[in-house]
Amino acid sequence: MLTSTDFLFYVLAFISVFFGAAVVIARNPIYSAMSLVITMISVAFLFGALDAWFLAGVQLIVYAGAVTVLFVMVLMLFDLKHEMKTFSKGLLGNGVKLIASGVTLGMLLVYIWSTYATEPTFKPLPPAATSSIKATKDLATSLFTDYIFAFEAIGALLLIIAVGAVTLSRITGGTHHADS
Amino acid sequence: MPILDGALKVGLDHYLYLSAVLFVLGMIGVMMRRNVVVILMCIELMLNAVNISFVAFSRYAENVNGQVMVFFVMTIAAAEAAVGLALAVTVFKKFREVNIRFFEHLKG
Amino acid sequence: MGKDAFEITLNIVKMILIFLVMVQLVPVLVWAERRVSGFMQNRFGPNRIGPLGLMQLLADAVKFLFKEPFFPAKGVAAMYHAAPVMALIPGALALAAIPLSSAVIVEPFQWLGREFGPYTFLAQGYDFGVGIVMVLGISSLGAYSLLMAGWGSSNKYSLLGAVRASAQMISYELALGLSLVGILMIYGTFSFQEMINQQLGQALHFNALGKEVVISWLPNWGIFYNPLGALIFFCATFAESNRLPFDLPEAEGELVAGFHTEYGGFALLMFYIGEYGHMMVASALVTVFYLGGYTMPFYEITPAYVQQAWFGGMHPNWASLLTGVVFALVMLVKVMLLLWVFIWVRWTLPRFRYDHLMDLGWKTMLPWALFNTILTAAWIAFSWR
Repeated sequence: MLTSTDFLFYVLAFISVFFGAAVVIARNPIYSAMSLVITMISVAFLFGALDAWFLAGVQLIVYAGAVTVLFVMVLMLFDLKHEMKTFSKGLLGNGVKLIASGVTLGMLLVYIWSTYATEPTFKPLPPAATSSIKATKDLATSLFTDYIFAFEAIGALLLIIAVGAVTLSRITGGTHHADS
Repeated sequence: MPILDGALKVGLDHYLYLSAVLFVLGMIGVMMRRNVVVILMCIELMLNAVNISFVAFSRYAENVNGQVMVFFVMTIAAAEAAVGLALAVTVFKKFREVNIRFFEHLKG
Repeated sequence: MGKDAFEITLNIVKMILIFLVMVQLVPVLVWAERRVSGFMQNRFGPNRIGPLGLMQLLADAVKFLFKEPFFPAKGVAAMYHAAPVMALIPGALALAAIPLSSAVIVEPFQWLGREFGPYTFLAQGYDFGVGIVMVLGISSLGAYSLLMAGWGSSNKYSLLGAVRASAQMISYELALGLSLVGILMIYGTFSFQEMINQQLGQALHFNALGKEVVISWLPNWGIFYNPLGALIFFCATFAESNRLPFDLPEAEGELVAGFHTEYGGFALLMFYIGEYGHMMVASALVTVFYLGGYTMPFYEITPAYVQQAWFGGMHPNWASLLTGVVFALVMLVKVMLLLWVFIWVRWTLPRFRYDHLMDLGWKTMLPWALFNTILTAAWIAFSWR
């Protein structure tokens, strides 16, 4: 018997695959970005279906609320309404790329089917663990004890990235003087 | 139909199928699109696909290590998007061009 | 009907109810805004239709509904029409996550020969357990409505307004999130319900350097534990809901009307409902975090106490329902006071210049929010409760 969580998974999986395909296919980059937003939101609720509600919230804030807004804003500033060359040229090259992707997908699916399809479904979590506070506390404990070095390294990386992005955006010209 | 019902019952494998499909979609996009910004978006799609499988494994194994990895992936993805977009904006301001093939001219 | 189906139906009904509450409050707020601005500027405001001009709302609604729908010639139809709808969604969803009153507890009863088990109806649309994280996530989607409106109208002013608006929202979201970290550390939870429970109690009390401090003339509210965070949070919500003094996206002197230049009639009304919805979410959040939520100050008045002392003679189900109504009214009074502050500020302060706005967000509010976080962490580490 399908539970409502299973039903939720199928709906969200359909939405995310449909709009994920739209990201790749849409000729107007703005539509790509908007489809990406919908994919991000459905991925966030897939995290929720896996009882990771804190990550779902973070996914909404970071991806849907910040990263994709950045993409949309940059595209709007570029004003690329009429994109002529959407896809790469060359029938042979494109065919090879598509076949390679299909083979990769087939290999992945067959591997998952042969390895994990016989596994039992998720065990229901005990009631104490389903409370998101407990799960979030576990996450924080793991993040600040086992992975503290990686956490600090990521912090340093973010600082470098921030400085780099600001520097890049303040560059006025290339290696040579501008004509004007 | 008990057999179909067993196959439809959502388990780890269903999340992994979804993750694989999204990953390959992003891969196709990275290989075939021309617009730099769209390529960056497709990379985000691939990272999201990986995140789904991380969280699914974390739920399956009942420990939080997978979720910690998702945290790191999200941070790196945000950083990558910031730098990638800053580069794209800089190149666009200079040359009015976002086609990835054009970036070959930046050599030397 | 299974348990899942029952809960899903219940949540949908509650979310529709909360959405309707939000929509119905908007005309009242519009009326209040116009009257208050009138009195502040020494004029009358709308006073022709009905007592105190209250029927002006109905007249406005009829006017908005019967206006001709308009579509710009070079607009992008999908985005143009989706944007007003997107403006409503974040406000309504975020408001549904906030507990507006105490839970209504229904004891087991028999009806039509069947047993109906004990129910607990929370006065919130849904509860994911991570409360504030989800609310921040959902309300961060508000930027898309502005961007879609700006892009869909194919108008330079709209686009400029939209880009300004989204840049402003992203910038202030940082200060908003960071200013909450302090109070979240004090409460030690993400759940709104637990925050409200922790703000119950007779008077402000805390441990300072090993001594118990009790200040009996102050209520046990979060704002007194973390005043700096409260101030930054409240300021940032002004920017989030695009109100004056931060309403650069629709600065009429420079950008005609910003992102809704090309909108009229009902679509424009939907943008207004979205803006007022953001204000309501902001006020409700401030109430829950810093002003004790739906509880009453000074006294140990829990829902159970009210049910016993005030409605003790009644059937427990009715008593529980009436208790819920009482606490909802308390919440409504607090929210309305904060909404009045929104209106008051709008007619008092002038608008910022755009670079000043960004400076304030990045160079003033963000460092102070960070300082607040560090200060609170140190305080908790050395002496707390």
